[in-house]
Amino acid sequence: MEPILEIAALKKYYGKEPNLTRALDGISFQVMPGEFLGIMGSSGSGKSTLLNCIATVIAPSSGAVALHGKCITTLHGKELADYRGKEIGYLFQNFELIDNLTGRENILLPLSLHGVSEAESRERLTKLADYLEVTDVLDKFPAQMSGGQKQRIAAARALILDPEIVLADEPTGALDSKNARSLMEKLSGLNADAGTTILMVTHDCNAASYCKRILFIQDGVLFHELRRDVPDETQQAFYGRILAVMAQLGGGSANVL
Amino acid sequence: MFSELVARNSRRSRRENGLFFTSLVISIIAFYIILSLSHQDVMVFLQRMESNAVDRLLSLIPVLYGLTLFILFFLVYYANRFQLTRRRHEFGVYLMLGMQRRKLFGMLLAEDLRSSLIALAIGLPAALLISEVISLVTARLVGLGIVGHQFTLSLSAIVWTAVGFLLIKLLASLILSGKIVREEIGALLTDAPEGTKKQRPAAVYAAALVLGIALLAAAYTLAIGGRAWSDLRYMAGTLALGVAGTLLLFYGLRVIIDRLARREGRVGRLRVFNFRQVEETVIHRSGALAICSLLILAALCCFGAGVATARTSRAETHTLDYTFPTDSEDSDTVRETLTAHGLDGAFSDLFEMRIGYIRTTEDRDHAVRYEALERAADTIPDADERQQLQYMLEAVGYPHLIALSGYNHLLAAAGQPELTLADNEAAVYCDSEVSLASRTALLNRLIAEGSAITIDGAPFTLRGQVQSVSVVTDRSITMSFALIVPDAVFDHYTQGDYDVYLDGVLAPSMTEGKSLMNAIADMNALLDPLGLPYESYLQNLGRELFYIVAASYLTIYLAIIFLVVANTIIGVQFLMGQQKAARRYRTLVRLGAEHDTLCRAAKAQINWYFGLPVGVAAVSSLFGVRALFSGILSVSAQNGMTEMMIAAGAMILLLCVVEWLYMAAVKRSSSRYLLGLMAPEREE
Repeated sequence: MEPILEIAALKKYYGKEPNLTRALDGISFQVMPGEFLGIMGSSGSGKSTLLNCIATVIAPSSGAVALHGKCITTLHGKELADYRGKEIGYLFQNFELIDNLTGRENILLPLSLHGVSEAESRERLTKLADYLEVTDVLDKFPAQMSGGQKQRIAAARALILDPEIVLADEPTGALDSKNARSLMEKLSGLNADAGTTILMVTHDCNAASYCKRILFIQDGVLFHELRRDVPDETQQAFYGRILAVMAQLGGGSANVL
Repeated sequence: MFSELVARNSRRSRRENGLFFTSLVISIIAFYIILSLSHQDVMVFLQRMESNAVDRLLSLIPVLYGLTLFILFFLVYYANRFQLTRRRHEFGVYLMLGMQRRKLFGMLLAEDLRSSLIALAIGLPAALLISEVISLVTARLVGLGIVGHQFTLSLSAIVWTAVGFLLIKLLASLILSGKIVREEIGALLTDAPEGTKKQRPAAVYAAALVLGIALLAAAYTLAIGGRAWSDLRYMAGTLALGVAGTLLLFYGLRVIIDRLARREGRVGRLRVFNFRQVEETVIHRSGALAICSLLILAALCCFGAGVATARTSRAETHTLDYTFPTDSEDSDTVRETLTAHGLDGAFSDLFEMRIGYIRTTEDRDHAVRYEALERAADTIPDADERQQLQYMLEAVGYPHLIALSGYNHLLAAAGQPELTLADNEAAVYCDSEVSLASRTALLNRLIAEGSAITIDGAPFTLRGQVQSVSVVTDRSITMSFALIVPDAVFDHYTQGDYDVYLDGVLAPSMTEGKSLMNAIADMNALLDPLGLPYESYLQNLGRELFYIVAASYLTIYLAIIFLVVANTIIGVQFLMGQQKAARRYRTLVRLGAEHDTLCRAAKAQINWYFGLPVGVAAVSSLFGVRALFSGILSVSAQNGMTEMMIAAGAMILLLCVVEWLYMAAVKRSSSRYLLGLMAPEREE
C-alpha cells in the first residue's frame, strides 16, 4: 500500500549559531491510508512545528513533505491554496470558527473558498452534521454554542471537502473532559467507519489513546513509537503504555527505556 | 529617547492610517481657502461693487468655519479612538515597564501634536498654492484679467486654520489620552471584549426598517410639496423626520443583509463571509453609517444647489452697458454733460427708453382690460396654469407703457428684428427674470388665439411674440409686465408724464483689448466725477458673479468637508474593522484562501460598505435637490428640467469621482494589510 503522507529528513531551524534552535532536526515517517496517527511530546518538543510544516503554515529549512508522492514544500499560488483547502482538513486547538458566521456557514466556508457549488456538498453536510450531532446548532453563531459543539462544527468544516488527511492540532486542548471524550469518539469513529486518515498532535494521553499509532517527539527528533495492538489491546491498556512513555519523556533522553 | 519614541510612534500612526491623515490635510486646505476668501481677486473686486452682500457673505464664514470644525472634531475623535484602541496592549506594556501615567499622557499628546504639525506643514503650503490657483482661474474665467494679480497671503486665515485645527486635535487627544491613562494596566493588556451583541427579535428590526422608510417618505413628501419651506417649524419637523428615518433605516437594514447572506444557491467566493462582515458593521455601527449617509446627502444637496444657482444666474442676455435714469425734462442734460466731458464718443449708441403709466384714466384697476385673453385662459385644461394666468391678468390692469421707438432701438442693439405696430396695436413685455418660460410660451399661444384688449376703453390688438429684452441695464426699473405701444399712443396715454431711461452701449473703441468688465470699470471711473446718476452692467455682472462665487465657494466648501468627513469615517471604520477581524482572515488563509481571493472579498465588502450609505444618500438627494428647487431657488431656476438635470449630473459626477477615489484608497490599504496576513505566524 502506498503511503498518503511521507515526511523525509524534515528540519526546521530558527535563528543562527550560536543561538540556533532546532525545532525539528531530521524527522522521517510515513502515514498510511486510513491511519489514525498521534504525535506526542512535551511543550517545545517540535510537534506543532511538524504539523505546521505539513499544513504549509511554515516552510521547513530542509527535508521533504510529500502527499501521494507529490512534494508540497514547493507548492505556491493556486496549487498551495488548493492543497490547504482540499487535500488537507485542519482542526485547530481554538476551533478558529469565524464568529460572525453561523455553524452552517462556517462549515460551507471551504466550498465558497474553492468555488465548489453548495448543492454538491449539501448531502455531505447533512451526513456530517448528523454524525457529529451538530444539526441543532447549524443556524447558531459560535457565541451561542458550547465548546464541544464549536469543535465538532470545526471538524465538519475540516471534513466537508473530503480531504485526503485531517491534521488535528490539539483538538481537545480547549475542551473539558466530557466534550473531549465525545470529540475523540467521533474522530475515531470517522477513522474506523469512513477510513478517514487523521494525524493528530496532542499532549493529552487520554486523547492519544484513541490513536492506532503514536510517534513521540523530543527536542526535534523522533524518540519513540507506540502501536496499539488492535483489536487485542484495550484502549485502557494502550493508555497505560502511553503514560509510561510520557513519564520517560519528562526525564529527557538519558532515561530512554 | 522619549522624543525618538514619539517621532517613531507618530510616523507609524500616519502610515497605518494614511487615509485619515490625508483627510486632515484636505480639511486644512479647505479651511484656509474658505478663510482667505476675502483675499481672492474676485472677492476684492466684488467688495467694491456689492460690498453689502459681500460683507454679509464674509460675516457668514466664521459661522461656517465653526460648524465644519465641529463636524471635523467628531471625525478626529472617532479616528483617534480607533487608533488608540488598537494600541492598548502597547500602552499596557509601557506602564508595566514602569512608565509614569503622566509621561504616557504626555507621550500621546506629543505624538498627536507632531502629526498635527506635520499635517499643517503639508496642508498650509498646499492651501496657499491652491488658493492662488483658484483665485487666478476664477478671475480669468469671469474676465477680470490677471495682470493686476498679486500673490496674497492671508495671515489671519493661516492663524485661524492652524488654531482651529490644533484646537480640535488637542481636545480630542486630551479626552482620549486621559481615558487611556486612567485605565488599569490589566485592562489595557487584555483585549477589550467586543461588546456583546444585543440581539432583538427579527420583527423589531423589520419594524424599524418599515418605519424608517415610512418616515423618509413622509419627509420627502413634505420637502417636495413645499410645505417644509412655509414655516420654520415644518422645516425642523421635516429634517427630524428625515434624520430619524435614516437612523431607523440603517438600524433595520440588518434584516435585509441577513436575508441576502442566507440566500442559498448563489455561488460566489466568500459571498456569505462578505455579507456577514457587512452585516456586523451595520449592526455595530448603524448610527455612524446613518450619520455618514446624512453627511453625504448634505454634501450632495449643497453641491446641487450651488450648481443650480451658479447656472441660473447666467440666464439673462446682455445688451445694454449703461442706463442713466432721468425724467422727461432733463435727458438732454445728461447728453450735454457727457458731451461736455468728451464722453459722447464713448457710446456707440445712446437712446431714450420712455416708460410711463396711463394718465388718461383714474381707474387704476382696470385701465387695461383683457377680456379675450381671459376667455381664452378659461379654456386652459390644466387647472394650475389656468389659475396662474388668471391671477396674472387680474394683476396687470394698470401696466406700464413703453414707447415703441425706444424699444425698437433696443431690439436693434440686441440684434433682433424690430416691431412694427399700427396705431391700434400693442405688444406684451414680460421681464425674463420674473416670468417663467413656460408661462411666456402659454401667453404667446393665447395671444395668437384672442388678442383683443382695451386701453382706457379704446380697442387694441396684441401683436407678435411676448418681448423680454431688458429695458434698462440693471434695476433702475423692474416691471414684470408692460405694454409696448406706438409713440403717438404712448404720448397720448402718458400725457407727457413719464420717465426716461437713457440707455447706452459702449463704443467698440472703449472695449478694445480689454475684458468687458475692465472696460466698464474704467468707464465708471470717468463717469463718477460727473455726478450723474447711472447704473452700469458691472452691477449686473457683480450680482451674477456674487451669486456664482457665493454659491460655488460656499457650497463646494461644505460639500467637500461633508464628503471628506463621511468618507473618511466609512473608510477608517472599514480598515479598523478589518484589522479587528485579522483572526478571521488568518483562518481563511489556513483554510486555503489565496491573497487574491481575500482581496476580492475585501473589495466586495468595501463596495457594499461604501455603497450602503452612499446609495441611501443618493436616493435621498434626488428628493432633496427636488425640494431645494421647489423651496429656495429663484423662479427662473424652476424654469425647467434642464437645470435640474445639469445639477443632478454634476452631483452624480462629483459623487462618483469622490467615492471612486476613496474606495480605491481603502482597497489599496486593505490589500496591503491582507498581504501582511498571508505570512504565517509562528505559533509555538
